Amino acid sequence: MTLPLSPSHIREGGHMVDFHGYILPVRFSTILEESRFVREQSGIFDISHMGHFVIRGRDAQGWVDRLVTSNLERVPSGKALYGHLLTESGGVIDDVMAYHFGRERVDLVVNASNRSVDGQWIREHLPAEASFLDLSADHVGIALQGPGASGVLAKILPDVLDMKRRETRLLNLGASGEFLVARTGYTGEDGWEFFVPSGAGVPFYEELLASGKKTGNLLPCGLGARDLLRLEMGYPLYGQELTTELSPFDAGLDFVVSRSKGDFVGKTAVLGQDGLPVIHDGHPALGGFVLKEKGIPRTGCLVENASGIPVGRVTSGGYSPRVGGGFGLAYMERSFLADFRKGEPGFVRIHGNAIPVLFRKTPFVSTALSEVAS
Amino acid sequence: MPEPRRYTRTHEWMAPSDTPEQWNVGITDFAQKEVTDVVFVELPKVGRQVPRGGEAAIIESVKAAFSIYAPVGGTIIGVNQELESDPGLLNRDPYGKGWIFRFRPDHSADVQSLMDGPAYETFLQEGGGHPEHG
Repeated sequence: MTLPLSPSHIREGGHMVDFHGYILPVRFSTILEESRFVREQSGIFDISHMGHFVIRGRDAQGWVDRLVTSNLERVPSGKALYGHLLTESGGVIDDVMAYHFGRERVDLVVNASNRSVDGQWIREHLPAEASFLDLSADHVGIALQGPGASGVLAKILPDVLDMKRRETRLLNLGASGEFLVARTGYTGEDGWEFFVPSGAGVPFYEELLASGKKTGNLLPCGLGARDLLRLEMGYPLYGQELTTELSPFDAGLDFVVSRSKGDFVGKTAVLGQDGLPVIHDGHPALGGFVLKEKGIPRTGCLVENASGIPVGRVTSGGYSPRVGGGFGLAYMERSFLADFRKGEPGFVRIHGNAIPVLFRKTPFVSTALSEVAS
Repeated sequence: MPEPRRYTRTHEWMAPSDTPEQWNVGITDFAQKEVTDVVFVELPKVGRQVPRGGEAAIIESVKAAFSIYAPVGGTIIGVNQELESDPGLLNRDPYGKGWIFRFRPDHSADVQSLMDGPAYETFLQEGGGHPEHG
């Protein structure tokens, strides 16, 4: 599917690829240059492939709260919340951002790969009186990320500069619709995300890009840089670290599951009667690693113990000068991971060679945001 | 002077070195632009015999790993050690300092079966350039 910003990307020299059926730029210059620019200055990403749903009604907040693992009741209106949608057996259907605008409206932003599955699942789980609107078909999603993001925005949309981390607002554009603005992102840097009807979104994107390019502190960035930046932070990507086979606890995302809230779909599968996480010994657990030698681990590479026995598989891997080489995330047998964390040697099989790896706690890099542990 | 460099459909080039019967092998400018951001090169062992189309080296870029195939059957007789410390040479100077290995073809005549410069250009224009690797 071609998205509204496509003509701009082609004009800017974007290398377009098919990502879950959406045609998006994987890069404009190079992944390393774009990712460095986002860490040091700022970058602008097209995230129009994300799904955007609006749930309205008498108790929209309560209804959505029963679908997500995190506790929406404890988040004040105007704040974004990260959560998971679970199957009845506790597997992850998707990871979503919930944007909460009071009791009667919650917006959900979901992954492109799950857009239709999520939409259907959510509709089936909402009460009949709930209003569900899918804005994805004609919207533009923009992520403006990096320490320089506020400087870029200052010239175009100064009204949102006072927003706090994770704050969310709806700006009324009159006939053009509504602007969803959130001080959130997937890079570990300060920044904003916008979801806008395409009629207003395309010119807004062009204005940000033109203004940022003129001052030299903004680059258009592709999916490649977005993936590397999120991996440096240890953020999960649906389909790689998150699947319907494994739980949020398997992924090490304990904070996503609220132990104090009421019922939600999948609760009894992931939390015991004592309110503690249900851990299946047969399920692997996610951990981070760095290579001790040169090489780049890729999705699917085997993780082995010192005896050469496979004990896991890489879910995401990459190379970053900021991490100092090859690094990644892998699902590993729990008993192995326990020892690996304590310094036990591990190996990743790359092109037939067993490359030694060390356990590394995520995030792999420290940014302004990771340091304040927002 | 005629263009002595020869090309493959998998975007390697092969050019005569300063020693007779010995050729340098690298990747084309088209290929380096596709690969981008080369981070490591796994160089072959000197002395290894590689059949035509056999994997001779691996280029690791930020995006993906790319196999480099022997343009014709032959023996690896040297490698570009400079790539160990500066793999970016492959991006900056693909036809010069970015050469990957030195090769002695089993049969010199095989080299003539590869594309010359104009033929490779035509090949690229006719869509031989594979689309962007994911």
